[in-house]
Amino acid sequence: MTIRLEQDRLAADAVDYEELIQRDRVHGSLYTDADIFQKEMRDIYESQWVFVAHESEIPEAGDYVRRRIGGQPLIVARGKDLKVRVMLNRCTHRGNMLCQSDAGNATLFRCSFHGWTFSNDGRLQGVSFRGGYEQSLGELRSELGLAEAAQVGTYGGFIFANLTGDAGDLEDYLGNAKDAIDRLVRMSPAGGIDLSAGWMKHDNNANWKVVNEVQVDGYHPLFVHESLYKAIKPAKVDYSSDELRVAVRDLGGGHSEVDYTAEYQAQDREFIWFSGIPRSRVPNYIEAMEALHGPEKTHDILVEGPPHTFIWPNLFLAEMQVMYIEPLSVEQTIQYTAPIKLLGAEEMSARIIRQTEGAMGPAGFLIADDAEMGERNQVGLHAQEPEWVLFARGFDTEKIEPRGITSYDRTSETSQRGMWQHYRTLMTETSND
Amino acid sequence: MTDIQAIATPTGSVPAELVDFVVHEARLADENRYAEWESLWADDGIYWIPTGDHKDPQTQVSFVFDNRHRIGSRIAQLLSGRRHSQTPPSKMRRQLTNFEVLSDEGGEVELAANFSLFEHRYTTTVWAGRYLYRLRHTADGLSLVKKTVLLINNESAIKTIAFIL
Repeated sequence: MTIRLEQDRLAADAVDYEELIQRDRVHGSLYTDADIFQKEMRDIYESQWVFVAHESEIPEAGDYVRRRIGGQPLIVARGKDLKVRVMLNRCTHRGNMLCQSDAGNATLFRCSFHGWTFSNDGRLQGVSFRGGYEQSLGELRSELGLAEAAQVGTYGGFIFANLTGDAGDLEDYLGNAKDAIDRLVRMSPAGGIDLSAGWMKHDNNANWKVVNEVQVDGYHPLFVHESLYKAIKPAKVDYSSDELRVAVRDLGGGHSEVDYTAEYQAQDREFIWFSGIPRSRVPNYIEAMEALHGPEKTHDILVEGPPHTFIWPNLFLAEMQVMYIEPLSVEQTIQYTAPIKLLGAEEMSARIIRQTEGAMGPAGFLIADDAEMGERNQVGLHAQEPEWVLFARGFDTEKIEPRGITSYDRTSETSQRGMWQHYRTLMTETSND
Repeated sequence: MTDIQAIATPTGSVPAELVDFVVHEARLADENRYAEWESLWADDGIYWIPTGDHKDPQTQVSFVFDNRHRIGSRIAQLLSGRRHSQTPPSKMRRQLTNFEVLSDEGGEVELAANFSLFEHRYTTTVWAGRYLYRLRHTADGLSLVKKTVLLINNESAIKTIAFIL
């Protein structure tokens, strides 16, 4: 039984989200209202599945990383039983933050305030001067282990958690986005990815939904990234061409993608997604892939490449990078970016790290400008007129495909409409309780 | 990796030529004089902003790990007039102090300095940390072989660094 005084009754529960989120437009206040942000954290981040870490970050017993869900501090740890747990980073005695390091390995977490210790599976181990309590140590231990996320699940090494236990089955939640994780993992001849190269962390003065929207936006590159394409190198595909076979797709469940598959297949060139490097640069990778898949399938995989898929509400498979966000307030979001190392393809690793730094993060040729747009967007949204933000592009180009609502006009706002329709469902369900 | 704790040459005996060079470099960066700044670099230059003080750039991601070619790309993008995250450009002033010579051999000098940087763009942001320079003596004077920026907050989320840090 949880008593949550301030959060049980939120002003934002009374808002009519069906009015604020229409088919082709959403209300600007959804990006700027602090009460709505609180409700989002409760009804989306704390009540649904969210990405928290990748298994490769905590490979050994005792490994842990610190994360947040909706402002709540967490420890994601692999216990000595090798099970991954997502625990709230709060001593069960007086509420001190238990773990201060971003990452490490520990058998025990010791509270610095009064010396209580917890094992890396969350059980209370020791209580200093334990004679001071009416209960026995055994009773204290059974009652005062660390709080845990009610549900933890992994798919393709990605660890997702849900704090409340109401989120249903993980694979149901992933839905059509599951294939995107498969598409990423199949790039590795050893069937796995590794994020041990670490994260770049980027502080954005923008609402978390603004940060998400641009990740699957095929309309902005020619404008926001003009300086890169003109001064350094052309985009990997010609965004100015109406013949471009790039699909924008609403996968359902808030997930969406920009799908380059058809364009890449039509060009039938390998590594378009990776600066067009020749096979001769990565001979061991090619050999390992062909040993596993044979030459034809290997060619297909290297043509089709990794996914460009957003997984609701905070994970983005950005081709050879993994990105995720932590919303800190209605106007502040931390964006994390890690290069992907493909297991069994070590000769790709240094190249992927350098590609990540070139394009992504606070100094990246791409993302620094996306972040700038996000911050300008946040300022602009404080103007009260016009009230609406438009997502009306490309309705008449959409068709229903097995993977979802798809537009082959790369500038369609199909992906953002998908996010918003799912958001509307989640925010409305809880309002009507 | 350089031991940044090393007690090196006392500040008073750091050659003025070295201090003058990095103060000039700082001024060009502060004033967004991109082409002049680029001209300080040696052909094998490395501009590095790691995500921690003890990272290996071959296995761990950095904020910036530019070889000379990519330094050129960075400057070309800034000069394009369409680098939105520097349009308008930051106004900056940085202070360099606590100079130390960490090594001096084979015509190359490693110089360290603390810095604080006040950057204004919409709001004022304070950046602080330590610069590690590798400078090469050439027939045409000094050239910049490596500049490492150890931000004090490099393990945390940082604001956009589209300017020259």
